[in-house]
Amino acid sequence: MRLLRLISWQYVRKHLLRTVLTMAGIVLGVAVFVGMHTANQSVLSAFNKTVDRIAGATQLQITAGESGFDEEVLERVQAVPGVRVAVPVIEAVVNLHLQSQSNILVLAVDMTGDRSLRDYDLEEGEDTVVEDPLVFISQPDSLMVTHEFAAANRLVINSKITLDSMDGPRTFTVRGVMKSSGLTSAFGGNLAIMDIYAAQKVFGRGRKFDRIDLAAAEGTSVPALQQQLQTLLGAGFEVEPPSARGKQFESLTSVYGMLANITSLFALFIGMFIIYNSFAIAVTQRRSEIGIVRALGATRRQIQNLFLMESAMLGLIGATAGLLLGLGIARGISTSLGNFLGEIYGVAQKAEEVSSDPRLLLGALLMGVVTSVIAAWIPARAAAGVDPVQALQKGRYQQLSEGENRIRRQIAAGLFVVVVFCLFFSQNRAVFYSGYFLTVIAGLLLVPTIALWLSKAIRPVMRYLRPVEGALAADSLIQSPRRTSGAVSALALSIALVISLGGMARASYDSIEEWMRIALNPDIFLTPTQNITDRSFRFPASIAEEVSKLPGIHYTQFVRNARMMYEGNPVMFVALDIGNLRPESHLPAVEGDATSMYKQAAEGKGFLISDNFAELYKVKYRQKLTVNTPTGPLSLPVLGIVRDYSDQKGSILLDRSVFIRHWRDDTVNVVRIYLNKDTTVTQMRARIEERLAGKTRLFVFTNQDLKAYIIKITDQWFGLTYIQLAVAVLVAILGIINTLTVSITDRRRELGVLQAVGALRNQVRGTIWLEAVAIGVIGLAIGLVFGSVALYYSLEMSARDIAGLRLDYTYPWNMAAGLFPIITGAALFAALGPAEQAVRGGLVEALEYE
Amino acid sequence: MISLHRVSKRFDGKRRVVALDTVNLEIEKGEMVSLVGPSGSGKSTLLNLIGGLDRPSEGDIRIDGALLRDISDDELTRIRRDKIGFIFQFFNLLPTLSCLENVSLPLHLRGWPATKIADRARELLSLVKLEKRMDHLPEELSGGERQRVAIARALSVFPPVLLADEPTGNLDSHTGVEILGLIRELHERLGATILIVTHDRSVAESCPRQIALRDGRIVMDQRQ
Repeated sequence: MRLLRLISWQYVRKHLLRTVLTMAGIVLGVAVFVGMHTANQSVLSAFNKTVDRIAGATQLQITAGESGFDEEVLERVQAVPGVRVAVPVIEAVVNLHLQSQSNILVLAVDMTGDRSLRDYDLEEGEDTVVEDPLVFISQPDSLMVTHEFAAANRLVINSKITLDSMDGPRTFTVRGVMKSSGLTSAFGGNLAIMDIYAAQKVFGRGRKFDRIDLAAAEGTSVPALQQQLQTLLGAGFEVEPPSARGKQFESLTSVYGMLANITSLFALFIGMFIIYNSFAIAVTQRRSEIGIVRALGATRRQIQNLFLMESAMLGLIGATAGLLLGLGIARGISTSLGNFLGEIYGVAQKAEEVSSDPRLLLGALLMGVVTSVIAAWIPARAAAGVDPVQALQKGRYQQLSEGENRIRRQIAAGLFVVVVFCLFFSQNRAVFYSGYFLTVIAGLLLVPTIALWLSKAIRPVMRYLRPVEGALAADSLIQSPRRTSGAVSALALSIALVISLGGMARASYDSIEEWMRIALNPDIFLTPTQNITDRSFRFPASIAEEVSKLPGIHYTQFVRNARMMYEGNPVMFVALDIGNLRPESHLPAVEGDATSMYKQAAEGKGFLISDNFAELYKVKYRQKLTVNTPTGPLSLPVLGIVRDYSDQKGSILLDRSVFIRHWRDDTVNVVRIYLNKDTTVTQMRARIEERLAGKTRLFVFTNQDLKAYIIKITDQWFGLTYIQLAVAVLVAILGIINTLTVSITDRRRELGVLQAVGALRNQVRGTIWLEAVAIGVIGLAIGLVFGSVALYYSLEMSARDIAGLRLDYTYPWNMAAGLFPIITGAALFAALGPAEQAVRGGLVEALEYE
Repeated sequence: MISLHRVSKRFDGKRRVVALDTVNLEIEKGEMVSLVGPSGSGKSTLLNLIGGLDRPSEGDIRIDGALLRDISDDELTRIRRDKIGFIFQFFNLLPTLSCLENVSLPLHLRGWPATKIADRARELLSLVKLEKRMDHLPEELSGGERQRVAIARALSVFPPVLLADEPTGNLDSHTGVEILGLIRELHERLGATILIVTHDRSVAESCPRQIALRDGRIVMDQRQ
């Protein structure tokens, strides 16, 4: 510790800028980790709080996916002896027609029994209304709102409020304001209570409920009751404690969580190179200092510990700064994440407050420190190995010997052999990921060699362009391969990340566009919701049939999609009139006969499954697939595997007749309309609106509208992933700044000589700029090659573990070309500060610099 | 050729150090002058000020008629590269460049055409008798050879002023004599004004004019 204060502190003080730049990688990595995870946790925690607050005294909840279930289920549940109270619930997030608020969670309950589960503590109002629930029920426009909501919107008893309903916007009357309590703080206070039977009509649920909330009778074991109810109702129902809903929500957001991990790990990994680079250079620069301390009696262990302590301190400070920055950006991310989850998965949730888990924060701190210490490990060992006699002799120290380079090449070659082996046995998850990891390590081991070759290769070009500045810049890179390779590695890793994500994005857009061309070819899509992923409202079958009889329609298809549980995970079920599908709308078959599979599926003889569902759940073609329905398990063969991008969690396609039979649900989410040639979209829109005016809420999307919407969602998804790119490029720029800062320190005398013999300031600046551009170009060249490999692994990862989507490998050449000006521009930008530093220093000191 | 009028140089750190104190000096064209004095007497500071590597705290310096006061760094650099050649104790050759490239460096910086640069660099390396070492890197040369390359580089544009800071200080005595002989020979052939900072009495005595400094002031100025 004393050595740390005596020696390290002085060095850090002298090289403050470099120390800050070195820490930047850790700061960014930790900030991204903390920011994204805290945002994720905040949204999850808000969801859990909402569930928990709404649950009240509920011990078990019964659901059947999104399809709901018939009213008679309630009677069966209430008849079970261990059930003290069981009440029906409908829950929906609906748009508000208020400027200050976007949406509200409507909890529809049976007021006659619900008050034994939930406490509706009223602060004011016409007591007679709610004291006698029958009166509340008898007025179907009754609504209770929270104190917070009422205050925010200046609502009092008997105020009118407009909510979206199945019949379009509908006016409700505030008949009670609840006092602030646990329940009223659910969904950020945007909560309204409605009568369940009114809600059935308002939300188009027919004679169905979404859920039953129940509490066990005194002395009844809840797990035993859960088991009993599960047996009674069958596997088509989920009987779970309220907390299980949080797990389902978490499962939906797991892709985001994984993305957060990849982003922060990449940033930290790149940051690790910057730290390694800085420490390796510091050890070289401080060789004589180390020699003196060793000559004065310091042991090798003390020297090693000195550098490791330095790195740990650096990591701790960087991680602390990153943690604070992460918490700072978490609120912004959580807001956009809440909206984003609503758009993608149709589950609206807003984070009320940023909630940070102390374990996450501690883990982030630890991650920063450990990353820093690992990065400094090799330089620290090198410092411990410094020979005091040699170190005290003046002379140039070649930092990376040819021998060391050869060993690296040999290890890399060995690793590549193992990687090829891993590719052959990549069915095994651990082997696949080991192969990926080893590929990265082998590639990084080769960076110094490749960077050296490329530096030598571009020297003549640079010399031709600028005889002095170009040659000196190239020589600087050639002479210090270690200094160069650190920055080049960081940059190459960033570029590889950019290419792999860019390639994924390109492949996704290509595939989605192709899928949209086939699957989304109707002229008009008619839905009861203004957001195509929202399934709060559904058309009754009668409405859909009425639409299909309108003149000018060639034919229609009714689609019912609902997220249901399969093996404990939410999966999208898409029920449609398969017999009505024209061959041009058949999704491309990955496995199975394209003609017969649709014919058989239309006859209700089996399922079609999406390729990502097959991949995620390891379901094979012709295998018998068992899904749970409210009427019992349904086992049908997989007639074919098709390429389908309906849902990230996988989708099961089945004929609507099967769905109606087993789920007892004939509602429709989307009516797909194909027009006659002589009818225009505008004409049809007018006819639909005329026929259904006042009967139902409806939204008419044209083909272009829907495609634009899907592209918008895809943009949002990749927009989120582009945060990775920004972080990666930023860290790489910091790496270049760091390297150049070190480079001009190393070459201070050389640059001094250059000025002494007549170099103008711009000529010195030119040398630094060219060096930066050369690092950029070399990093880019290596990164583009690494990117081609990273893209392969990313596509595989996507297929295996992220979304099960198997996308075609397409190298993003346009992006690669676009990166050239970005990276050279960024490199030049990174060189501005160091170049100024190079020309501002005193010439006399520079010439005397050793 | 070199004119200093009431030149002082102070370093303001935690404690103020006066390196040069009101120095007046005139050196005529073609003179060969040695500058001696104990460590800290200000001789290197004086050389740096004359060479335009540093700026005085007070006073005026003129080189070949050009006043160094109140000019930009780039103007100072232009004066340096057109009028002054430097020879350093530790040679200060660029380790990554060959002998030919090191000598060519100042010419490239002036934007000379490539063929003319190559001709001049070869001519200069022949002048210092290193025509067979043109493509060697500095680390492949002996100390004396490195200093010859440095001298060739200093002479690249045949500057009117040559400043040498301990040119033999890092060489053995035999090589030192050889290098000094070369400087004297070049002085006679090219007629440049030469100022040599040295600790070595024999080097100082070999110059026609000797100036001694102590505590930042000229304490002796004599011609042989």
